[in-house]
Amino acid sequence: MMPAVTASLATIIFTAGVVSGSLGALLGLGGGVFLVPFLNLVLGFPFTAAAAISLTTVIATSSSVSAGRAGKQLINMKLGMLLEVATAGGSFLGGITAQLVAQSILQRLFGVVAAIVAVIMLTRLRRRNVILDPRADPGVLGGRYYEDESGTTVTYRVKRLPVAVTASFIAGNVSSLLGIGGGIIKVPILNAWCGIPLRAAAATSAFMIGVTATAGAVIYYGRGQLEPALAAVAVLGVQLGSWGGMRFGSAASVKWLKILMALVLFIVSAMMFARGGR
Amino acid sequence: MTERSARSASQRLEHAVGVVLRAGVTASSACLAVGVVWSLVTGESGVARLLLQTGIIVLLMTPVARVIVSIAQYVSDRDWPFAALTTIVLVELLASAVAALLFNKKL
Repeated sequence: MMPAVTASLATIIFTAGVVSGSLGALLGLGGGVFLVPFLNLVLGFPFTAAAAISLTTVIATSSSVSAGRAGKQLINMKLGMLLEVATAGGSFLGGITAQLVAQSILQRLFGVVAAIVAVIMLTRLRRRNVILDPRADPGVLGGRYYEDESGTTVTYRVKRLPVAVTASFIAGNVSSLLGIGGGIIKVPILNAWCGIPLRAAAATSAFMIGVTATAGAVIYYGRGQLEPALAAVAVLGVQLGSWGGMRFGSAASVKWLKILMALVLFIVSAMMFARGGR
Repeated sequence: MTERSARSASQRLEHAVGVVLRAGVTASSACLAVGVVWSLVTGESGVARLLLQTGIIVLLMTPVARVIVSIAQYVSDRDWPFAALTTIVLVELLASAVAALLFNKKL
């Protein structure tokens, strides 16, 4: 049952949006990984309603963050457009699947995904970005951007494209099934196996998840599972939160971001299993 | 295509995409914010509902518009492989809308 829309519920969801938006921006995510469990586990929304609201905030965050970054060459547009073919296809299938399976399955899947990603992040704490010779040829899909922190130009080539495509398909699928952006799946893989520096991988993923989330959100919206008033306060909260989080994001250390991200994901995973197993 | 023209093509695309995303987010956030305030002040009303629905639809259409603009830019740059890839993305988004309609008709 969807709770009735009241001023106090709207305030709670707005606040949750601010918190998940700022955490998401700090971690380079859309924030849905925090918002979905809050709406589903704490407020008791049906999983599909939580996912629908979260996907709309993912679209808003992706759009505003990418609008701010456009022109800085941090977003790898060509790679993003190519991988979107996979994410949007996966998201389309995930959105259909979410209509057909039980809530407990979605909750346990959320638990599995959160735990896997937490483990990946913890095993990669010491990993350095790939910084090649700035005069190297990045190829058709590679990129080159100026990194403020180190004051260097980072150039990279994309390795193992089939891995990137497969990861994008799975990320898109999970995105609309679970109401998250899918960056938590793509970014570590693009960084660890495909040679893409963390910041470029995160920016490109953030750019892609707007399209990915739309392919899923349209299905939820068409099915009447998206309550516009609650989605509105969540979107506005997340926008405010991610604006705030962005201001501190570039100053925070990548190592501590990863540890924080992993801890949060372990907690979310345990809660989802506890609920989905009942 | 030379290195210089390739770079300016990608910069034009980034600029166009940035403009579309900013416009979509600004328009939808404005509709949603006014809609939320309106419904808090007047309670459930037709105007508030219309504003909220419009805000959500504009938000959902923003990535679609970004994809369409990208196709146009790739076509005008005669970058056919990427024009084709981006067109596939647009088809996938349209497929979602069709799926939603089919679900509703059946259930």
